[in-house]
Amino acid sequence: MNTQHLALHGLALKKHAAAPLVAAAVDLPETEVTALLEEATRKGRAVAVQGGWMLSPAGRMILDGQYTRVYAEVRANPAFMQAYERFERINTELKQLITDWQTLDVGGQKVRNDHSNREYDEKIIDRLADLHERFAPVLRVLANHVSRLAVHARKLEHALDRVDAGAIEWVSDAKLESYHTVWFEMHEDLLRILGRAREE
Amino acid sequence: MTPGGTAPPSCFENLYTMTHSPGRWILTLGGNDLPEKSLIGGKAWSIARMRALGLPVPPAFVITTRACTSWLQTGEIPEGLFEELAAGMQWLQEALQRQFGGDAKPLLVSVRSGAMISMPGMMDTVLNLGMNARTAEALAAETGDMAFAMDTHKRFLDLYARIVLRATLPELAASAEIADWQQAIFEATGQAVPESTEAQLKGAVMAVFESWNSRRARRYRDHHAIPHDLGTAVTVQAMVFGNLDARSGTGVLFSRNPLNGDPAAYGEYLARAQGEDVVSGRHTPQPLSALADAMPEVHTALLRAAEVLERENGDVQDIEFTVQQGELFLLQSRAAKRAPAAAVRFAVDMVREGRIDTATALARVTAEQVRVLLSPRLADGATAEAELLASGEAACQGVGVGTVVTHTDEAEQRAQAGEAIVLARDTTSPDDVHGMIVAKAVVTEQGGSTSHAAVVSRALGVPCVVGCGAGTLERLKGRIVTVDGAQGRIYAGALPVLAPLEADEPLLRELIAWAEARAPLEVCAEDAPTAASALDLDKQKGGEDPLQLAALATGAESLRGAVLNSDEGVRAAMAAGIRRIHVRQRLPALLAALAALT
Repeated sequence: MNTQHLALHGLALKKHAAAPLVAAAVDLPETEVTALLEEATRKGRAVAVQGGWMLSPAGRMILDGQYTRVYAEVRANPAFMQAYERFERINTELKQLITDWQTLDVGGQKVRNDHSNREYDEKIIDRLADLHERFAPVLRVLANHVSRLAVHARKLEHALDRVDAGAIEWVSDAKLESYHTVWFEMHEDLLRILGRAREE
Repeated sequence: MTPGGTAPPSCFENLYTMTHSPGRWILTLGGNDLPEKSLIGGKAWSIARMRALGLPVPPAFVITTRACTSWLQTGEIPEGLFEELAAGMQWLQEALQRQFGGDAKPLLVSVRSGAMISMPGMMDTVLNLGMNARTAEALAAETGDMAFAMDTHKRFLDLYARIVLRATLPELAASAEIADWQQAIFEATGQAVPESTEAQLKGAVMAVFESWNSRRARRYRDHHAIPHDLGTAVTVQAMVFGNLDARSGTGVLFSRNPLNGDPAAYGEYLARAQGEDVVSGRHTPQPLSALADAMPEVHTALLRAAEVLERENGDVQDIEFTVQQGELFLLQSRAAKRAPAAAVRFAVDMVREGRIDTATALARVTAEQVRVLLSPRLADGATAEAELLASGEAACQGVGVGTVVTHTDEAEQRAQAGEAIVLARDTTSPDDVHGMIVAKAVVTEQGGSTSHAAVVSRALGVPCVVGCGAGTLERLKGRIVTVDGAQGRIYAGALPVLAPLEADEPLLRELIAWAEARAPLEVCAEDAPTAASALDLDKQKGGEDPLQLAALATGAESLRGAVLNSDEGVRAAMAAGIRRIHVRQRLPALLAALAALT
């Protein structure tokens, strides 16, 4: 696959980031990403901002056009699309799960989950681990067709490992590569691959 | 009674109240004695204990951990287990006068896992086991409610497929027939849910055994140094029906009010319904007084049970119950989840009543709960004259005041320049997170409580209102607004915000006094005279980072600074050997310090 496209795609996922994060998002070597983004900057497709890069408006347009071409084959592949449909179902489950993680139903009212009820938290982490195991084969199919998607599997595994070790902020902390953060980035990645818009 | 020799099923006659065994692997839960937790697991143990306290619980038996251990060692089904399982079912049938898999008055059971130590990763409870085409018809005839029988059948298929067969099922329309469910399950798993009720039961029991070795259970045991060969028990309990007639129903009782902490029992009741109906929100439950009016003796028995359970467990209880033809059954009792205000009131009241000591009371209130209670809120009456600009679903509580900006990059730039910004978007995506982090509040036009904006705002602790409708952005753009995340409302202008003080709250003052007596370090107010000599971390580079605290605090005896308002900051100060800290509100720091000791 075209590495220039991948670097721009990684930058789109990360929005504003330095080379190491972009490289990790699309599974390319950091030095290569740096060179690619410097080149993109010279061509006016990216701009350097505060030690990182952002896509320029032109870069964004070019990237959107590339998706259709680069992923035409994948978009027409029944196995990939079927796996994607399964992802969508599990995604609905995950959204509910994260909401349950963040809120407690107390006597019919929703209050913020302050994580003082261990039993409640453990139940939800159980559900997350179960979801993770059921999702693994789906992600394997997706990665069979777009191999770099495997990077999400490693990150999800890492986040769940942290949770299992007792660091529960790795469930949904927005400032960490928590399970939810990685999941969302993966969702964004898939939406771009398929040229779809997010549905809330 | 110790399990040992085998005995025929007839030994169950008149033994409804006895703990008894038909052989080596199974014990019925009577209540006359209390078997070892290591043998029957925590859940069966609590059923046996409730029966021993004279409380009404649906009859149950347990497959002991010995059976699981044997299976773990040999990989084979323990000899005679299934024969004993049939004998156990025979006992349940006789106790309830119902028939497992029968075409009249069918017996349904729940199957749940339960190890000596409660452990994550174990199998969830399968409910309504025993449903098939035949028993669905029998249940419809008995209840006169075909829709209920069909619903119960679907719920069973759904649970069994997800929990035992580990399927990810597509979302099926409410109108989907049983055959559609069976088809979807077969497509997702290549297997069918057995029609034979015996096969269903065996399948569920083996799934419990297998869940002992789930990834999560193994990791948890590794992490907590729990041996891998303990095994789990399996509890099989009769289901009772809350929808048989007008003298049947189901509900939830809290032994005290879990929202505000009021000592009066609080609950909901739904006549002619099953527990799932309350949870699903299909029906609107009535207050508990409805039960008191309809069946005063049941209501009295329920309150008495709540009192017994609260006293025995030393904490406020959340009790699920069902009334079957005028007879009360307690399904589950556990420590109640509670709102922050209730956590504080329960803790102080129960000490005053002599039910718990002050150390226990302090352990039941978290620093975070107190922070929520003390977080800024709109002053009373502040909204009376205010102009309501928009409203939507309350997604994250808290109050945020600022100028509405509709572009994320612009929001980030202006916030970094020191301006108070409210970020308003159509919807949000990961592209917007950098703007949400710096915003005083987040507002969206589309999406509900599980939308990206709602989830991320809660993770960040930023007040958030979602789903305000199309046109909201245009209306709000550029204006100064006040966002009330608890009520889901956005008002024009900057409304007066009130920051509660712990010193004004008598219950919090009481907790402070108890905590001070035990705290490992001195926690003083920011304006105390000694504060002048404290090292101010806010003036040190990196002073906001708990990880750098030890290095910065070298040589200091006392500290102050915003980092001490977090649990991590307090822990770091303790680890650095600091003797005294100064904070704006003392109770959160005291509770964090106490929690760090345990």
